[in-house]
Amino acid sequence: MATLLVDGQRVEARAGDSLLVAMLRTGVHPIGGGCLCMGGDCPNCLVTVDGVAYTRSCQVPARDGMVVRREHLGGEEPALLSDEPTSAGDAAPVRHVHCDTVVIGQGDSGREVAREARDAGLDVVTLDARDGQQVTGVYPGPLVVAADRAGRVLHVHPRREIVVATGAAEIQPIVPGSDLEGLVTARAAAELVAAGIDLGRAVAVGERPAGLPGDALVAHFPVGEGGWELVRFEGDGRIEAVIVRRHGDAGTTEERIECNTAVLGLGRNPCNALARMASDLPVRVVGSAAMEPELPPCPGDGTVCPCSGVTVADLDGVWERGFHEMELLKRATLAGTGTCQGGVCLPYLRSFLLQRGGRLQPAFTARPLNRQLTVRELAAGAHTAVTARSPLHDEHLSLGARMDRAGGWWRPWTYDRKDDEYRSVRERVSLGDVSSLGKMAISGPDAEAFLERIVPTRVATIRPGRCRYVLMLDERGYLLDDGMLCREADQDAGDRFFLTSTSGGSGFFELWLRDWVEAFSCDVRILNQTASLAAINVTGPLAARLLARAGARELPAFGRHRQARIAGVDCRVVRLSFTGELSYELHHPAADARTLWRRLLAAGAGFNVQPHGLETLLRLRLEKGHIVIGHDTDYDSTPRRLAHEWAVNLNKGDFVGRQAILRTNKQPLDKRLVTLLTDDPPPRETVEGPSAEGAAIHDGERYAGYVTSDAGTTAGGGAPMLGWLYLDAEGSLPREVTVDGRTARRVDGPTYDPEGERARAAVDIASESPQNVREFPVARPEATDLTAEAPAEPPRLRRLEATRVSATPKALDALVEQPPWPAGALAFRIAPDELLVTATPDLEVAGDPHAIVERETAFSYVWLDEAKAERFLERECEWRRPDARPAFAQGEVAGIPAKLWFEAWRTLVLTPAPFAAAFQRRLTRSLEEPDGDDA
Amino acid sequence: MNEFVERQMKLTWRPPKKSYDVVIVGAGGHGLATAYYLATRHGMSNVAVFERGYIGGGNSGRNTTIIRANYGIPAAVRFYQRSVDLYRGLEEETDRWLMHQQKGILWMAHSEAAVRAERMRAKLNTEFGAETEFVGPQQVHELCPQLDMSGGGRWPVLGASYHPQGATARHDRVVWALAEGAMQRGAHVHQNTPVEGLILDGERVAGVRTAAGDVAAGAVVSAVGGHVSRIAAMAGLRLPIRTHRLQAFVTNHYRQQFGPIVASSELFFYASQTARGEMLLGAEIDPQPSFSYRSSHDFVQDVCRRALCLLPFMSNLRVLRQWTGVCDMSPDYSPIMGQTGVPGFYLTTGWGTWGFKAIPAGGEQMAELIATGEVPELIAPFGLDRFARDRTMADRGSAGTH
Repeated sequence: MATLLVDGQRVEARAGDSLLVAMLRTGVHPIGGGCLCMGGDCPNCLVTVDGVAYTRSCQVPARDGMVVRREHLGGEEPALLSDEPTSAGDAAPVRHVHCDTVVIGQGDSGREVAREARDAGLDVVTLDARDGQQVTGVYPGPLVVAADRAGRVLHVHPRREIVVATGAAEIQPIVPGSDLEGLVTARAAAELVAAGIDLGRAVAVGERPAGLPGDALVAHFPVGEGGWELVRFEGDGRIEAVIVRRHGDAGTTEERIECNTAVLGLGRNPCNALARMASDLPVRVVGSAAMEPELPPCPGDGTVCPCSGVTVADLDGVWERGFHEMELLKRATLAGTGTCQGGVCLPYLRSFLLQRGGRLQPAFTARPLNRQLTVRELAAGAHTAVTARSPLHDEHLSLGARMDRAGGWWRPWTYDRKDDEYRSVRERVSLGDVSSLGKMAISGPDAEAFLERIVPTRVATIRPGRCRYVLMLDERGYLLDDGMLCREADQDAGDRFFLTSTSGGSGFFELWLRDWVEAFSCDVRILNQTASLAAINVTGPLAARLLARAGARELPAFGRHRQARIAGVDCRVVRLSFTGELSYELHHPAADARTLWRRLLAAGAGFNVQPHGLETLLRLRLEKGHIVIGHDTDYDSTPRRLAHEWAVNLNKGDFVGRQAILRTNKQPLDKRLVTLLTDDPPPRETVEGPSAEGAAIHDGERYAGYVTSDAGTTAGGGAPMLGWLYLDAEGSLPREVTVDGRTARRVDGPTYDPEGERARAAVDIASESPQNVREFPVARPEATDLTAEAPAEPPRLRRLEATRVSATPKALDALVEQPPWPAGALAFRIAPDELLVTATPDLEVAGDPHAIVERETAFSYVWLDEAKAERFLERECEWRRPDARPAFAQGEVAGIPAKLWFEAWRTLVLTPAPFAAAFQRRLTRSLEEPDGDDA
Repeated sequence: MNEFVERQMKLTWRPPKKSYDVVIVGAGGHGLATAYYLATRHGMSNVAVFERGYIGGGNSGRNTTIIRANYGIPAAVRFYQRSVDLYRGLEEETDRWLMHQQKGILWMAHSEAAVRAERMRAKLNTEFGAETEFVGPQQVHELCPQLDMSGGGRWPVLGASYHPQGATARHDRVVWALAEGAMQRGAHVHQNTPVEGLILDGERVAGVRTAAGDVAAGAVVSAVGGHVSRIAAMAGLRLPIRTHRLQAFVTNHYRQQFGPIVASSELFFYASQTARGEMLLGAEIDPQPSFSYRSSHDFVQDVCRRALCLLPFMSNLRVLRQWTGVCDMSPDYSPIMGQTGVPGFYLTTGWGTWGFKAIPAGGEQMAELIATGEVPELIAPFGLDRFARDRTMADRGSAGTH
């Protein structure tokens, strides 16, 4: 026996009672009256259960401790903000269920179909409202979404068929008094009687109800046949009498009979909305759900749509004023737009329209939702986008950094020493974490030819060991991204390049490259090393001396790069500059980042080395006039508008965007991104922050553009800005303009070190020797013997030492045939041209001299035992897992890309290290989540 | 009684004539607004609007009813501000209740980059007449106390750009009021009458072939949404348009408690409460081009998840219905309006996800163009020829969440 509270009143429920039955047994009727259907097809039993309004009490099993409020529709509208405690912000738990066939509805025909399918050996899932399963929608996938009685959400993924056996809804009466209490459909009457609820004096209207004992009725009026007509119900809140009319040869007679309950058999309307959501899916409609809709008589008076409170008079009103289409009728009255989604009113709207001479359009596609799930239930199984973490994330936090999301990564915005961060770069030496840069290794016989076709710079003249700034354009000649292109000094393994992109561009970088590889049919290997390699920018006048103190012996000259061991870590050292100072970018395996970062800080302690955040970097680059993609650029930014013609070589042959540039170069230039410098102080109210961004630029009275970047006044005095400046009527750019009332002059080069002498400074490190460290031990990765590991408790993700190979599919086929790695290592073919080996052997790919083989430390892994794997994946893996063991599969798990290796009793999960923290959080949470109340 | 039942407007249907001064293809907001302004501003009422379905049945009846002018480039800000202004006077002008509610729109920033973008937007908008200010977390909280300022601990609200003139109106009523206004002055609207071809007189478009027969026209305007490429092809034009799905959903109705429109371009969704009390949520277009009107589960699932970060009070609200419209996206995220190079054929398209808010200004300006033959200054930058001239209207401000 369950006890619940309804509006503060105790209601005892018996086993098997729905909430509605329990309420009616105690004599508590839902507010608002109206005919009860007990099938979930009308809005007449809505209540608020445990803070969730618009709950169909006929579809909810009565549970001990339920708190029910009847306030609804007839009463006040529910509040947006519930007094009930909610698990704010959390989504409901989800279960992914894969099967051959899903059968929705377990009436006679649904059960029959399910039985046949099972007999045929199919894997069948059944869903039934009587079991508390509310099917909300059928979606492409195919996917059937339902909530179960335990408050979980089921995502059912049928491979073969969706069977809709949802039966038919009984047509509701629409006459004056149809909103009284005491009206039930024939099916509801049978259910109430079966539950032992006394109907009192009951009168049947329409078809004689089945399932009622013979003595349950005091009268039966066969409305709908033989000239009988239902006129109205009378009563005060509750029904007291039924009035019917009989049209016979002897004229029309009216009868009134007193009763406590009216049992209505007015015909049926198929419940086929789920099928109409899925017209292009393998869906089969069976049983009454497949019947033709029956048309009730055109209503003469009363409420047509109880959800929206629309009367026949309302329909008449809009019809007379010209709203003659079904959709216009609905939109003008809002009939059919409430909770029951037209379940009550649609049959009557049809008969109204036909009676008035309108046209019925063919059945339309149904809009989800069939049953209204809550926001937290619909959110089940979804995660917000995960933000990548650099391997130095925790280092930044321990140095007091305020982290900020930028371009899909957490970046240190500031270490809260803004001025010192700036000065450490300009005056001493500073470290910046640039691990989020996109990084791509490119090799192959066509590597040079391929790059020549996709970047506007001449690639042929980049000599081994050199690097060059490159733009990446789209076919319209607009800037997509920029980066640097390095040609490897070591040409032993063929011609090889290293190409970077901005952090924000790293997401589409690989896709963009591979698209063009396909388009041009190039013989090229590509290995995305964005996460594999961390990168630290050592920048400032003392940068070279710091590196020497960290053990560097030889450093590349400006515009060059070389491999070097710095503080015991193998690095690619690239000398270019974004800050304007002497700078070395150190690209190195992600696993070594923390070691390198700490050793660099230690080695530079004598120079008072400081890290700098993104905020400072944006200011430094602005003084050098360097653009930030997406901030200074827009979708129409051609190299010419950006004043980057110098990075485009129109004479080298075709490249992506060249045709567009040739065409647009014939048009007069309209605007240009320029550097402006003002000595005037900023307006008082905008002293905080980069205040002039977005400010209009005026050339006298003429609006002449707007500012895109401003970092305030710099140490050297004057505030440099970047902005779009429109050419004047004569086709020239004004030299002097105003910004926010401040006078600014256009300058042709960078405002800081215009000649670039600081970035290109000659260095002499001969006198430096390693500092603050006795030695820099070389980090020797411990080989991970994965297969020997047992699942840990609790499961913790750990970094994997591995090798990644990009080679021709054929060469990889051969390699996998005769693996050169130790027994116990696993090799995963993550793409036809890519292999991940969980060991660090010295690999030679015999069949492909251009193969790229790299140490890979940017995956994290965890073994899960069978039970945990099942539990976790049932909740967090939407796609169907392989049946065979062992098996490899990859896809999104818990909203994060993952690779899965299924063994008989355990499962290995691999995920990119930048997402490992988020994955760990989601794993732990999912394993801790309660199973739900299966009662 | 349901106070939202339409009780004022009267639609008058007349049989098609053989010839009109102006034929407009598509009786959505833009088509009907063009007819309305031709009739009210230029005395041109020998005008017909042909519609393959029912009036306002396309995107005009599927959008999220938001009216705002805080766009990203000066020409767009000016144009949409004109629309905001016209909307504010439209109830009085038509003497019809359009459920216009000025409620303000808050555009959240959860990162420093977004703070800068919103600051920039505020400055640029204000400069060109669309009042917008950057407000800090305290003021955001005061404007919308339901917001979880910590963003579920992961998407903190660092500030927002606030555009107080942001508004909503009942989309259907806007369509009907414009239809009624045009009809009252003699314009014809023909429902269930698809335009199947264009009648060409040499190079000139001289009429339309409809399901109800050929109709001659002094000018033909395509105000089609979703399948504009097909109409344009009839005139021999190839448009730089791709059609994408845009989805939305509403909850059941609840008591009026949620004041402004709230948007987040990092969490990619926006929310408002309708006059009837439903919470109405939308997001960005589907990335794949499609003409499908099918709603997807991914959409409602992801938007619900993201909305819970900022609006956890929505947790137990029930979602009533989701739906889909199809958007004509131009390459630069700006509309295409005006002459086409084909004599007698005008175009208003590329309404992407910003069509509803532009209805009055779009109609007013197209009407002026057709009536006077002169391209009004306000829409001159939005001509189709801008793509060939490399004068695209790249508008980052409208490319995020709409």
